[in-house]
Amino acid sequence: MADHNDPNAVNSIFSDVDVSAADLYDLFGFPSADIADGEKAVIALTMAAVPETGVLDTDMLYRVQMVAAPRSSWSEAEEQTLDTLLKYFGSVKDKYLSIYKASEIRVTVDDHGRAQLAFLRFPGGDFSKTVGTNKVETVMTPDGHAIKVYIGGREEAFFNDLPGFFRSINYAPQFYHVPQSMMEARELPIPKTLIELEGNSLFNFDPATPQWGKTMKKDLPPGPWTWTGDRFKKDENGNYRFVYDGEDARAGKNCNAIIFEIPLAFITRDSGQNRIVSSWGESWVLKAAHKVETIPDEPFWHQHPWALLDGSQSDEQLNRYKLVDTDGLPFADAALSERENNRQLGANNFWLAPHFINRLAHLGWGFGPSITALGLQTSFDHDNSPVSVHKTYSNPIAAFPRVRKTLFQKLNMPDDSWNPKGMNIPLRRPFEIFVPNVCATDMDTTGSWPFGRRPEDQVATRFLSLFLDMEAELNGRKYHVETLGDPELWKNAPIVPKTPPNPLKNDKEFLDHFPYLAEPW
Amino acid sequence: MTDYQNDLRKIERNIAEIGAPSDSHQATRRAYGLYQRAALTGRLDEFAAAEAAIAEAFNQIGPWPDLCLVKANLDMKFHRLAGAKRALEMAPGLAESFSGRVIWADIHLQEGRYMRAKQMCEALVAEDRTWDNLARLAYWEWKFGEVEDAERIYTEAEEEITAKEMRGYAWVQLQKGLLDLRRGRYEEAAAHYRRASDAYSGYWLIDEHLAELYGSQGKYDEAVATYERVLATIARPELQQAFGELYAAMGEKDEAEKWFDKALAGFLEASENGGVHYYHHLVDFFSDVREDGSEAVAWACRDFELRRNFGTEGALAWALYRNGQIAEADAMMDCALGSGVRDGHLFAKAAAIKAAAGHSQESQELSRRAFAMNPHHEGFHVHRS
Repeated sequence: MADHNDPNAVNSIFSDVDVSAADLYDLFGFPSADIADGEKAVIALTMAAVPETGVLDTDMLYRVQMVAAPRSSWSEAEEQTLDTLLKYFGSVKDKYLSIYKASEIRVTVDDHGRAQLAFLRFPGGDFSKTVGTNKVETVMTPDGHAIKVYIGGREEAFFNDLPGFFRSINYAPQFYHVPQSMMEARELPIPKTLIELEGNSLFNFDPATPQWGKTMKKDLPPGPWTWTGDRFKKDENGNYRFVYDGEDARAGKNCNAIIFEIPLAFITRDSGQNRIVSSWGESWVLKAAHKVETIPDEPFWHQHPWALLDGSQSDEQLNRYKLVDTDGLPFADAALSERENNRQLGANNFWLAPHFINRLAHLGWGFGPSITALGLQTSFDHDNSPVSVHKTYSNPIAAFPRVRKTLFQKLNMPDDSWNPKGMNIPLRRPFEIFVPNVCATDMDTTGSWPFGRRPEDQVATRFLSLFLDMEAELNGRKYHVETLGDPELWKNAPIVPKTPPNPLKNDKEFLDHFPYLAEPW
Repeated sequence: MTDYQNDLRKIERNIAEIGAPSDSHQATRRAYGLYQRAALTGRLDEFAAAEAAIAEAFNQIGPWPDLCLVKANLDMKFHRLAGAKRALEMAPGLAESFSGRVIWADIHLQEGRYMRAKQMCEALVAEDRTWDNLARLAYWEWKFGEVEDAERIYTEAEEEITAKEMRGYAWVQLQKGLLDLRRGRYEEAAAHYRRASDAYSGYWLIDEHLAELYGSQGKYDEAVATYERVLATIARPELQQAFGELYAAMGEKDEAEKWFDKALAGFLEASENGGVHYYHHLVDFFSDVREDGSEAVAWACRDFELRRNFGTEGALAWALYRNGQIAEADAMMDCALGSGVRDGHLFAKAAAIKAAAGHSQESQELSRRAFAMNPHHEGFHVHRS
């Protein structure tokens, strides 16, 4: 759903498959503004409101994992080569798999609406607590820290023109009834694009069916699915047509959420050094064999949460469940991993690094020429192609030269507000963001993406900015992660509708205090 | 409300919500919903309704791939292998798709290409480790490999089933129970059936397995009560035959005959209406209930023409034996045994045929193998296919 990394098995836009409580939507991570009793990290994991808003599925186990580490960044002196990039990924892998030891909070909810929390591998030791749902609770840790907790229903925090994004990547299940037996008919093999292609009958806006891809689908026409044109579509006024219309596809909807505000000193003993809190979430569903064991009574660990205090017991608990979905970065899987079930790796997405390069190049051939056609500069090398191209790569050696700049360029921020302390914090680069698949919150910033993720961040538009050339300027300012969200840009661009690709803000105001996400509708 | 009733209600609600389908998606969903309902209740009239909905949907939307898949599944359920193949060919690429290959694995098994079936199952599992394909592989091991391997793979299948698929879990428990039952391990079988019942309450299929177990154990009162309960829910002729055989085992010939008559009427009615799925039951019926060799051979030949595998070969051999055609029975039984199948009941029949054919040493060896597989193989059991 909203985070686009849902395994096909639980995704509701596939025919015949219901929305599942295992469908994780988003993971937010940012420093709390409340520093009265020390710094705190806010981590919010959202998921489908199933079975209903405020009621969490008792067959599910959710894990929120986190690790705090020093800030590190790419040295300017290093060569921007594929070899150095792969070595970088290797070193990150070693850190995550060998050096860092993630702490985690496990959450299960019982039939009475009580949430069992197990805090594992934190410096202060393991412990468990039971809290109520749909209200803010404070959990006192054995070493005296106060953790704010909210588990229950909230307003869906994601605001995004989801059909527009899916139209840009030719994602058939959003627009067509795709037979379950036709797994290959997901992203149809025609150029991806931000502006419509002339004669693209598969995805161009159809005035006769304006709700197509939103509330209605058509039958998938028989293949082969091809596009034989050679230019972008223009109307009689010379305007391109945007594949986005900027509408919030998630407006008026709710989600369920697990939200924590955690003292940094609880996460790490060395909060002075360990300024980056990386977090990610997972959904696990109870295996049938273990549901049978629990049918006569309440689940064992619901009655005996202290059993989780022993590490071996906690592994035993996890063995009862099956991993379904992971969530770290927005767009990490949908845009870079094609939403495949076997790529639900969470933070451990290291083996996807070469695929990440191939996939970014594939997307670049679609988005790069679109950006150029609009008179903007792109970071992707498309050889001045006048129109988007459908091109896939199987080898990063061929793909890398095309995306070198896209991968290595620093992502400019719109202003300095992200860095309130005025510290010397390097701007982040795309390759640093996407591997591993975690939300890396810099505790010295506001946590605005890509220094974390705040609810108000328009991450879909910011993701597209990867393909902008951050050295180029618009009206005397360098491009930045919000450039494509500037209404002035679109007002003057040869395009209709004249709107930023995604809504600029959520349909309901976020709170300025815990639990930050708005009350459910 | 039981789990079974709950599922049934959900399926019926889905069907009702669709109403008159307006596009391919809805038409397929409706046909699929009706198929799901029939598969759950086991009622033949509901299968007929599903079949009618599929036909109607084909008229409305043509060979939509998922609809073809539903049709192929339905055909497989009723042993119409040619129909299943045709359905898979109706939509381009369907036969080569994952779902299409699953059905092809079943077709290969039904048509006696055992290794091909196994290789396909292994490839499917390697591609996507789903519980149903693991169960297919386990079944293969049960029939052709080691029963311990079958048990292990069924357990692996269990591990892939989530709390959202309790009916699937119960079904795997039934298979594990049958593995034990066919080895004479009644307590172990009972434990699996209890687990199935705990996992998914109110399901007639679990009761039906329990009834067989009670009958095998000689717990006739419980077996009768359970069969009565099942038959009050679903009046399938093969269940009526099983109930009749239970009464026969109890020495109650009149009651047995009553149920045999009902069963035969049901088998024949289905066959007269063009159904081929009861051919193998008719072979069993005429071979072992009526002991009418001539009729048994006639039905066995019809089944054999549709699908040649160790099951139809063994059934034809037994029918020929009943008909006094010992040499032909012996040759046909060699074909069945040549498949490499390991089945206690088949070995016992083969032993009888070999003895009649004068191959006493082979007969003794087959008897020994039948006994080794299941010391109670001559006791009450249900003919399953």
